[in-house]
Amino acid sequence: MKNRMKEYRARLGLTQEKLAETVGVRRETIIYLEKGKYNPSLKLAHSIARALEAGIEDIFILNDD
Amino acid sequence: MKTRCTLIAYVVISMLGLMILLSRENVYVVLALVLGFLLLGHRELWSLIRYRRLPIIDERVRDNLTGAMRITGGFFFIASIVLIVLLRFNVFKDTPTGLIISGLLVFVGIVYLIGYHYYDRVRPNLGEWAMRWLKTCLITAGLSLSTISLAIALHNLVSAWFGFEDAFFFILGLLVAPGILAASLLGSLAIFIKGLCASFKDVEQA
Repeated sequence: MKNRMKEYRARLGLTQEKLAETVGVRRETIIYLEKGKYNPSLKLAHSIARALEAGIEDIFILNDD
Repeated sequence: MKTRCTLIAYVVISMLGLMILLSRENVYVVLALVLGFLLLGHRELWSLIRYRRLPIIDERVRDNLTGAMRITGGFFFIASIVLIVLLRFNVFKDTPTGLIISGLLVFVGIVYLIGYHYYDRVRPNLGEWAMRWLKTCLITAGLSLSTISLAIALHNLVSAWFGFEDAFFFILGLLVAPGILAASLLGSLAIFIKGLCASFKDVEQA
């Protein structure tokens, strides 16, 4: 799964630390998510999308292959 | 509040346990428990010292903890069986029992850390194929360890019951199973190192 978290976060001027605090996870989790090394649960994906003021499908893009 | 109460209860029980162990002169076990506590709780301790609060247990950390606990539990079970067999055959002659138990406890702590590390950093860098092989290697290692203990016991039983020197269980327990164990451990180690190297590359690129 690809994601555009970094792009949306930069657009809002949020740091990884601040985003982590907002959604209630560790900063390392945000790092892993941005690198695409960790797939979030639906609940976390929803929280992230809300924090980044976007829809889930705008941020998390499912690879067809 | 709940976390704080749990922590206070944990500290009080640990202190009582350590005092009982010290009064029974089990210094090695006390040392191992303290070292194990530092190994297992280093992240939490660091967070308490630096930020004066416990780190958040989010879903990723919960997954890592569950995985590490499962690996540690499996290791503890297998290591205990091996230790019992080795003690039965008097391998640790003149070695204090406290030292043996401490060694086991320290190993449990190290395996937990590796397990935690493995889920945290190695797993995302391994593909489906590598994960399948890693699981197969670990299961094979566990099975061959159990086979060693079982074959030694069966060799002695067969030899005692039928009055001849059994060759099948002897070869199985002392040649075949240890060989498979070594191969599967080397295989899992190679896959683990591959995943770890990939995670270091990620850090360099970041």
